[in-house]
This record gives sequence, structure tokens and C-alpha cells, in this order.
Amino acid sequence: MAEKKERYQNRIELLQGTLDLLVLQTLQWGPQHGYGISIAIRNHSGEILQVDTGSLYPALHRLEKQKLIKAEWKVSENKQRAKYYQLTAAGKKHLSRERSKWSQFSQAIAGVLNPEQT
Amino acid sequence: MTFWRRETREAELDEEVRTHLNMAAQTLTERGVAQKEAERAAKRDFGNVELTKEVTRDAWGGRWLQDLISDARYGLRMLSKNPGFTAIAVLTLALGIGSNSAVFSLIDALLLRSLDVPAPRELVRITFGPPGIDGPLSSPMFDRLRERQRVFTDIFAWTNGPMVLSNKGVARPITGAYATGSAFPTLKLKPRLGRLLTWQDDEPSALSNGVAAVISEDFWLEHFGGDPGVLGQPITVDGGTATIVGVMPGSFNGITVDYSPQVVLPFIFDVALHGKSSCRFRSDCTWFSAMARLEPGVTFAQAQADLAAIAGDVLKELLTEGYQRIDYLRNGTLSLIPGRTGNSPLGKVYGRELWTLQTLVGLLMIICCANLASLQLSRTLNRQHELVVRSALGAGRLRLVRQLVVESMLLSASGAAAGMLLSQWMSGLLVRYVEQSDFPVFLDLRPNLTILAAVIALAALTVILTGALPALNLTRLETEEMLRSGAQRAVGRKRHPLAARLLPGQVALSLVLTSLALLFAVSTGRLLRVDPGFRVKGITFFGVDFERRPEKGEARLDLYRKMLDGLRRAPGVEAASVVAVRPLGEGGIDESAAPVEGHGPEDKHLFENVVGPEYFTTAGTKILAGREISKFDRFGAIPVCVLNQAAANFFFPQQSPIGKHIRSTEPNPKRPSCEVVGVVTDAKYLSLRESAPPTIYYPYEQLPDFRWAGFITRSHHTSAAIAAFKDALRRYAPDTPFLPPMTMQRQLEDSIGKERLVAVLSLFFGGLALLLTSIGLYGLESQRVERRTPEIGLRMALGAQKSDMLWFVLREATFVFLIGLPLGLLLTFAACRFVGSLLYEMSPLDPRIHLIAVLSLVGAGLLASYVPARRAVKVDPMAALRYE
Repeated sequence: MAEKKERYQNRIELLQGTLDLLVLQTLQWGPQHGYGISIAIRNHSGEILQVDTGSLYPALHRLEKQKLIKAEWKVSENKQRAKYYQLTAAGKKHLSRERSKWSQFSQAIAGVLNPEQT
Repeated sequence: MTFWRRETREAELDEEVRTHLNMAAQTLTERGVAQKEAERAAKRDFGNVELTKEVTRDAWGGRWLQDLISDARYGLRMLSKNPGFTAIAVLTLALGIGSNSAVFSLIDALLLRSLDVPAPRELVRITFGPPGIDGPLSSPMFDRLRERQRVFTDIFAWTNGPMVLSNKGVARPITGAYATGSAFPTLKLKPRLGRLLTWQDDEPSALSNGVAAVISEDFWLEHFGGDPGVLGQPITVDGGTATIVGVMPGSFNGITVDYSPQVVLPFIFDVALHGKSSCRFRSDCTWFSAMARLEPGVTFAQAQADLAAIAGDVLKELLTEGYQRIDYLRNGTLSLIPGRTGNSPLGKVYGRELWTLQTLVGLLMIICCANLASLQLSRTLNRQHELVVRSALGAGRLRLVRQLVVESMLLSASGAAAGMLLSQWMSGLLVRYVEQSDFPVFLDLRPNLTILAAVIALAALTVILTGALPALNLTRLETEEMLRSGAQRAVGRKRHPLAARLLPGQVALSLVLTSLALLFAVSTGRLLRVDPGFRVKGITFFGVDFERRPEKGEARLDLYRKMLDGLRRAPGVEAASVVAVRPLGEGGIDESAAPVEGHGPEDKHLFENVVGPEYFTTAGTKILAGREISKFDRFGAIPVCVLNQAAANFFFPQQSPIGKHIRSTEPNPKRPSCEVVGVVTDAKYLSLRESAPPTIYYPYEQLPDFRWAGFITRSHHTSAAIAAFKDALRRYAPDTPFLPPMTMQRQLEDSIGKERLVAVLSLFFGGLALLLTSIGLYGLESQRVERRTPEIGLRMALGAQKSDMLWFVLREATFVFLIGLPLGLLLTFAACRFVGSLLYEMSPLDPRIHLIAVLSLVGAGLLASYVPARRAVKVDPMAALRYE
């Protein structure tokens, strides 16, 4: 079990920046609960990105602690009480900054991987 | 993360996860999956629920605090599950920390603590005396020096002395001091109330306007109930009257660490009392303890150089012929010593002894730590199985180490707390040992920051030694291998190296402590058995204060006669006489004399005592030849004197001194010559350690300017003598304060106070060391027996004898002693070089002492091995094998 836990932790670390970005991006369309976020990421990525709940919830709580998102208990359309997350002003700023970083990063990677195209 | 909000957040997290699962399951049922199946699938998709929660909780931060608290809780539970270990560990720590802190607080109070004044490092003491003596200056010396010096902001003088306070006809002794007017401004002290003394208060003009006095805060609270109206009130001290003008701050206890004056008067008060004969005007009266504050920017060395430059002039002009003690004055020089801590006569007397004791308790602390480490280690070994299971359940190595460290911290915190309590009690006892003479020693032993820091440092050291080391050693476990070997606890097959390495060291240090303790004890025992040349049992001394009685001259002598008669007639009093210098007391009278007949040698270092009729009978000093001083040796009769054997042998070798004459060779002899009428045995004079010096006894009634002597009585019960003396005082000299009496027994014990202190404490510490080492050995062996019970059982089943099993246990002890004892002997002999001078007439290398020390250590070791050995012998082979 010890090893398993470590594996989870490694994965969080590996995906950390990326997952944060995905979560923030998802929340741009409006407040959403944890389950909704995981579904949204899966759907928007064409079922390619499977978000591990073991990483999602720590990421949500960490972003909340960093005050990039805030949470509120609301009743969902299915009349269930759920914790809804939404972007804060700081979160929005962070998102746009991270997005431009990410596009620079992916362009750079693409450049390296396909040198003949540049 | 606030701690109390945590539980709400836990509940919220639970709900959040539950909602997630519900929603996932709902999505599935909407697609037509059966409810049960959907729930299972949702859970499967989610993964490990508890782990997710835990990792999420990590994101909240504050995890370490949470862990620390649970570690502490767990630690407390483990400690209370093992009360024997916990008690021994806490007690060991408490004893180690307590004794260290007690001895150190005494050292701190006597030697290290600064005077509580602004910038104490600028203070210096100016002393006068022949080489090796840091004595006070004379007043003219001080005045001259104050005019000449250029390196100090100012200098001041201070003199402590007991005083008698009279209030509405009741007299009581108080602690007093004289100070020059410059004292308080130079010390930069602020008054608690009113004002402090200034230069104007010490000017002759103060005599006509009334002398000012300041009192201590304690005295103000105790005697005046803290009434602010105390300012302006008159106070009658030593027969003179002064006006209270202020209260000193409570943090200031005078410039002498063991003497806290209740009343401080300007020196002019002594002039008011004694007029022209006051010491204030006399060059032969050295009573000014001088201090100064360095001018800003002047270094100690510069001040020293300046003082040396002017010292010659200052001294030369003052030394005219015709003084008593001219040798002392002529050989004296001025010197400068640091004054940050003020003056500490007790510290000077006890300094070396205290540092010796501090070294001993330091060694004891090492033994304590070693013991704790082995105790802790063997406990951790016994907990190996638990640790392995915890590690298998996912606890990281860091977490395990932290758990053990937290436990040691709990232990050392409670040990330190108990140690501080113990230290308070022990330093109280220590002060009672240090205390001597009629006035209680004042020592401020509040635990201060230095002591607290020292104790915390000791505790932290212990934590590191006992917690982290064994923990690091132990968590190098290989979990799988351990688990595979199952519950048989066959893990620690090899002897754990740390405990085995520590024990010989403990034995060595214990041997050092035991040997030194025995040396000190035997030396002090010898000192106590020395024949002092007088009786010890039943002798009581009474001081008197007749200075302000109206009787002078012959009338004063008559008062003494009446008092003596009264004492002798009192029931229970066997004999009584008069004596000026108490044997083994604080001081003596110097005399120099030479025989008249035969131009024999002159003795410049003779000691003098002034006694009454039948003194020798009363004190129990044997008369070897001639007669005792009698009541007929009065003014007008032939002047007589008695010599002790040392003086008789010196002046009149190989002839009878009876009938011969001795003349005083002092500059202004009080009596030109006397006839020797008796020779008495040598009686100790200043100290038990020194052999009795040549002594001459004069009858008090033949002294032309006889002013003072005390009384000595012999009685079966001290209480009878006290009652008789109080009665005589009431009858013949009412209104005279009754000063605390002093028994010869107490006087003798006081005079060897430091020897007794070192002996008693080192015996205590030596005993502790033996005990701790025995516990350590016991721990090691019983654990060994427990661990190897199956092996012992097997061997016994195969026919091993009981003696073999005994040897099996004792082998460990033998190994420890074979290394420890030689090491200890080596250390002891090295240490002996430093303690030789503390011993009385014995060699520190006395083989008998060291043999006894070794034997007692081996004895303690055997005693400690007895229980485990018995357990090993009693192992039932069947039971042991079945267990395996």
C-alpha cells in the first residue's frame, strides 16, 4: 500500500501544472462540481484525458487554498447538495497567464518534434 | 488551517466524495445499468476513496501539526503502557538535570551573574593588599586615588557590616552597609522610592543637618509595610540616628553577592558615631571596598596602566611610621580586577569546589544520557515488531523516526520539568551548606535565563542522544525479512552495538565519580577527627554589643565580672569565661613578640587571643605547665601571659618558659612585657586544616584599652547556656540586643563547610552514578536473557549446567567491566592530579580508596546481574522450546 500511495503522489506531481490548467479552463464556462469537472475534461478532450479522481480532488483543494477558485455548496439540477467551484478574479488572471505559457510551451515542443516545418 | 475547523472540513470532504459517487452512479443508471452494478462501477472508477481523501487533506496544509499531535498522543499512550521504563527514564533525567541545574545555579549566583545595574561590564574593583590578597583600601588612600585618577567616571567605596537597629527600646540585628556618596550615581541606580544617596549626603555638613539613609525594598516591605510615608522617618542604627530618604530598587542587593544590606548609610555616619577615631580618618584602617566605572572608551588595560602609574604616589605619602600592621600596609599594592559580578567572598572561597562539583555533575549527566540511550534503545528493540508492522502498513522511515523523537521529547520535557523542581529543592539544601556564621547568607537563586538555557540545552542533547540515534539505527530494518521471520522476535540476534559500547564508558565514569567521592569523604572525615586542641561538645559562644553601654573602663570590666558570675551560678552551666577571638572564627589578632631574657628570636607572625579567668578549663585546652589565667590577674598585678606549645618551643627551646618574660615588638605595644605563667597545648586558631600557629594569650583585665570580648560557656545542653546568658543580660545589661549564639560544633562544621559540601555532594553523585550504571547493566542483561530464552532453553535441554547459564549472563558484565574498569582507573588517576590540593593530608593516589571504589562498582554490577542471572537459571527448557 505504501508504494501505491507513492504512485498517486508521483502522478499528481507529474500532472500538476497541466491538471490545474485544465481545471481552471473548465471552470471558465461557469461553476461546476468535482464530478462535473471530471466529465467535462473527458468530454472536451474527446475521451482521451481520463482525470484520476485521486489527483482531481487534491488539485481542487489546493487551488482553493491558493484562492484561484472558491467553493460554495449548492443544490444541483438533480436536487443533490454538491460543492460547486468557481473561478476567482485571481484565478482568471492565473488562467490567462498559464494559457499563454502553455501555448508557448506546446509550440516549442512542436518545433522540436517537427523541425522541418519551421 | 485552523485546527478546530478541521473536523468540519473532514465532513465536507466526505460529503463531496459521496456526491461524486452518487452522481457517477446516477449517470450509469440513466444509461440502464442496474443500481447495485452502477454503484460498484462508480466506486471502481473513483479508485481508492480513503487514499484520495488523505492526499486531498494533505493539500490543506498543516499536516505536520496534525501528525505531531497524533504522534504525541501515541507517544503518551506508549509511555503510559510502560510505566516502569517511563518512571526510570524521567527520574534519571530529573536527577541529571536537577543536580546540574542546582550546582550551576549556585555557580551562577556566586560567580557569574552580573550586578543588576546599567552597563555592569564597565565596573571594576580596585583592591589593595600584599600579593594574593584582594583587600579593601584605607579611606585616605581612596580620597587620594579619587583626586588623581583620570580613567574612571568616578570611584566609590562600600563597606558591609552587621548593625543593630533600635526601635522603641527593642534592639535587633540587621544587615547594613556604608557607602560613599559617589556609590549610587556611579552604579547608575534609580530609586524605588524617594532618592538615593549623593555626594552631599557624605559631606561633613551632613553631620549638622542629619545623616541620610536608604533602605532596601525588602526591608521597606517587611519593616514598614511598604508605606510610602517612610520617607523622612528617623531610624536608629548602632546608637546613631539617620533619616530615611529613599528605597533602593528590589533588583539591587548591594555589591557583595552573598550579603544584602537592609540599610545603607553614608560613611559620614561612622564619623557621627565615633568622631575623630572613626576609620574614616585613619591610614591603618583598610575598610573601603572600592569600585569604579570605566570612562567610556577606556579599556581595562589602559585603566590598569593608569592605576599602576599613580599607585606609587598614592601609597607612599600615606605610609608614615608607627602604624600597627605596618608590614601589611608596606607590602600592599593597588590592583584592578573586573567588577561586573561585584564582590563575592563566598565565591572566592567556594569557587574551586563548585567547579569541581560542576565537573562531577557534568560526568553524571553523561552517565544519565548514556543510560537513557541504552534504555530507550532496548525499548525500541523490544518494539521492533510493532515498528515493522507500522512500516508495512505504510509508515515512512521519517515518520517512524519522528515518532521516536517525539517520544523522547515528551520524556525529556517531563524530565526537565521534574529536574527544575528537584533543582529548586537541592539548591535550597546547597545554600544551607554554604551558609555559615551568625548572619544568614543571602543568595538569589531564582532560576534565570542562563540556567533555563543550560537546562533546555541538556534536555535537547538528551533528546538527540536517546531518540534520534536509536531510531536511525533501528529503522534500517528490512521489512520483508522481518515479517517473514514472523512473530518470534528473532530480529535482534546480534548484540545491539550501541548499548554495549556505552556501558563500559558508564562504568569508567562511575568509577571516577565513586573514587573522587570516597577521596573527598575520607579527607573530610579525617578533618573532622583532627584533635583541635579544645572541646567541641557543649561549648557555646555569645557575642555581646556593649559599645553603647554607659559603663566604660573599670566599670566595663566590672560588667564583665558580674556577667561571668551570673553565668557561672546559673543551673546547667559547668564553666564560663571570656574570649575575644573565637577559634576557627572569621579572624584573629596579629602580634609580634620576642623574649626578654637571652635575646631569643623575634616572632613576627604570632597570633594573639584575649581571654578571661578559667578560659582553658572552660574550652578544654590542656595546661601543660604552670597555671591558668586567674581572676587575680588584674590591672595593677604583674602582667602575665600564657603561651601555647608552639610559641613556647619557638621562644624558649629546650628550657622551661615559666617565669620568663615576653615583650611585644609591635610599634605601639599595649603592654611592654609580660611574665609567662603557663603553657597550653596547641589549639587550632584560624582553620582546622592549618596546624596550630604560635599563640599568646593575655588576660582581658590587664589590657589598658580593653573594649570588647565575647563569652564562652560549657554546659551539657546548649539551651541551658542560652537561658543563663539571656538571664544575665537582662539582669546586668538590659536594652542590649541578644545576638545569635554559636556552638563550637557549628563553628567547626562551618569552618570546613566547603569540604563537607564537596564530600556530601560527591558521595550523593557517586551513589547516583553507581545506581544508574547498575540500572543500565540490569537493562542490558535482562534484555539479553529475554531475547535468548529459547537458546538458553535449548542449551539446558542439551545438558548445560546451571553454572554455564550463570556464566552466560555474567559474560556480558565481565566484558563491560574488563573494558570499563581500566579506562576508569586511567581517568581517575588523571583527575586525581587536579583534586590533590582539595584533600587534607592524604594522597589522591591512595590505593586503598581506589580498591574500595573498584570493589563497590563490581559489587553493584554483580547485584544488578543477580536478577537476570536468576531468571536465566530458572528457564524451563520445555516452555522455552515450545515457545520457539
